[in-house]
Amino acid sequence: MKVVVIGAGLGGLLSAARLSKEGHTVEVFERLPITGGRFTNLEYKGFQLSSGAFHMLPHGPGGPLARLLKEMGDDVRIVRSEKTMIRIPLKKGDTDYRQGFRDIPFHDFQKPLSNKDRLKSAYLIVSTRKDPPEGSTLQEWIRSQVKDEWLVKLADSFCGWSLSMRSDEIYVEEVFEIFENLYRFGGPGVPMGGCKGIIDALEKVIMANGGTIHTKSEVSKILVENGNTAGVVVDGTEHKADLVISNTGHAATAGLCSEILSDEKHAEYLRMLEGLRPSAGIKICLSAEEPLIGHSGVLLTPYARRVNGINEVTQVDPSLAPPGKHLTMSHQHVAPENVGKLEEEIDMGLQDLKEIFPGKKYEVLLIQSYHDSWPVNRASSGTDPGNETPIPGLYVVGDGAKGEGGIEVEGIALGVSRTMNKILG
Amino acid sequence: MIGKLVETRMKINDNCVGCGQCTSFCRQDAIEVRGKARISDACVECGICSPYCPVKAIEVTV
Ligand SMILES: Cc1cc2nc3c(=O)[nH]c(=O)nc-3n(C[C@H](O)[C@H](O)[C@H](O)COP(=O)(O)OP(=O)(O)OC[C@H]3O[C@@H](n4cnc5c(N)ncnc54)[C@H](O)[C@@H]3O)c2cc1C
Ligand code: SF4
Ligand code: SF4
Repeated sequence: MKVVVIGAGLGGLLSAARLSKEGHTVEVFERLPITGGRFTNLEYKGFQLSSGAFHMLPHGPGGPLARLLKEMGDDVRIVRSEKTMIRIPLKKGDTDYRQGFRDIPFHDFQKPLSNKDRLKSAYLIVSTRKDPPEGSTLQEWIRSQVKDEWLVKLADSFCGWSLSMRSDEIYVEEVFEIFENLYRFGGPGVPMGGCKGIIDALEKVIMANGGTIHTKSEVSKILVENGNTAGVVVDGTEHKADLVISNTGHAATAGLCSEILSDEKHAEYLRMLEGLRPSAGIKICLSAEEPLIGHSGVLLTPYARRVNGINEVTQVDPSLAPPGKHLTMSHQHVAPENVGKLEEEIDMGLQDLKEIFPGKKYEVLLIQSYHDSWPVNRASSGTDPGNETPIPGLYVVGDGAKGEGGIEVEGIALGVSRTMNKILG
Repeated sequence: MIGKLVETRMKINDNCVGCGQCTSFCRQDAIEVRGKARISDACVECGICSPYCPVKAIEVTV
């Protein structure tokens, strides 16, 4: 089979690697001069910053992405983070970190609760595994169970860090699917070499199996003949294919074959696409001589104004920063109503960092924001429309078509696996 | 005319999301980002940054 992949982001490269390994002829077209999309390294002042992701896989070496890589004989080493910590104020009742703080392990999250609520939450941890809640947002569900606002704060920080969403924007069933995956696959990890370590390994698989990757090559149109996908147009040249896999999200993909989709019978699909909401976020990259976090896991910061969590990837791979330096990155979710006020959101994030790291010396390397057509996630978790399109032979992969309960790149891997099962049988 | 008074021909349009990708490819360190990119006087109009922008926000004006 001849396959064309539009876009060399993670989803596109995973699909290309898998299909070329199965013996199909694969050609990838990427608009930018670099591959990897929002999952590769950007070299800046000697640091390996990233085009998007925090150099972190939500389920580390045991997750769906690591499994898919292993299946393809990919040898990237992924190091499991030692722990996830939560920073809480020293004194009960304080609402910020200004009077001091301490860090507690994630599994002790019930500690700040009253005895009664702690018992209730212990009960819920067991009962919800058998009978997961559904039909409301995570926040509504928490409030219906426990009166303490601590759990809402913690949920906002967890969802903000891992999904760039707030607890009132996500359905409780999606979150419980994520928890189930955390039990199943384990917590986060960092790939050696950062995001690019994985991208390089995938390209190696594609090359070794005779596939090709063209950069600076934008697809301007998807060809459809007799109702079936027939190829793409790049720089005015037609490239025929039996199968086209788009890594650009459903909406942009629909834009490449808008004539065919303008037919009345596709109106519902197009209406559904209008409802998709990409999620927005801000990453602040810090350089420091002394470690700011001191471990390889995530530090959740539920009492900050905006910052949801922070990691320090040089704890795993020191080569991501110049010798003697650390690379520490914070993430903050940006609510839809605040996307127009990014500078204010950034100021609050910077103020948070001062209070989270009082007295510590660090330099702000780069502040990166993501929304709309270059977002944190093309489809907010729980709203992904699946990998198929109304046109046979045209599939969508990537973070606009994640699998259920799949956080970020794990969701991309689940979506790619599902698509490959459909294609390869 | 003094060079400084001539504005750079590189323009950032409304597509810009502030991702900083261009900053990392500019050899003159001429692009500041804070929610949006801004090109400074240090720009030598080499045009290197433009193709790296994921949302086609860097235009060369005449
Ligand atoms: C700030 C931030 C932090 C994140 N942190 C994490 C994290 O720590 N862990 C995690 O797992 N995930 C994280 N994510 C999410 C993760 O980075 C993305 O979900 C993932 O990289 C998206 O991959 P994708 O397959 O959807 O492809 P994309 O990265 O969207 O790539 C698509 C590619 O297609 C190309 N393209 C578009 N149109 C065309 C066309 N017409 N022709 C040819 N090429 C085209 C684009 O140039 C691009 O290279 C983060 C994202 C952001 C923004
Ligand atoms: S044109 Fe060249 S010097 Fe000017 S901002 Fe772009 S990369 Fe930098
Ligand atoms: S690369 Fe494009 S979107 Fe990103 S900051 Fe630069 S101009 Fe803006």
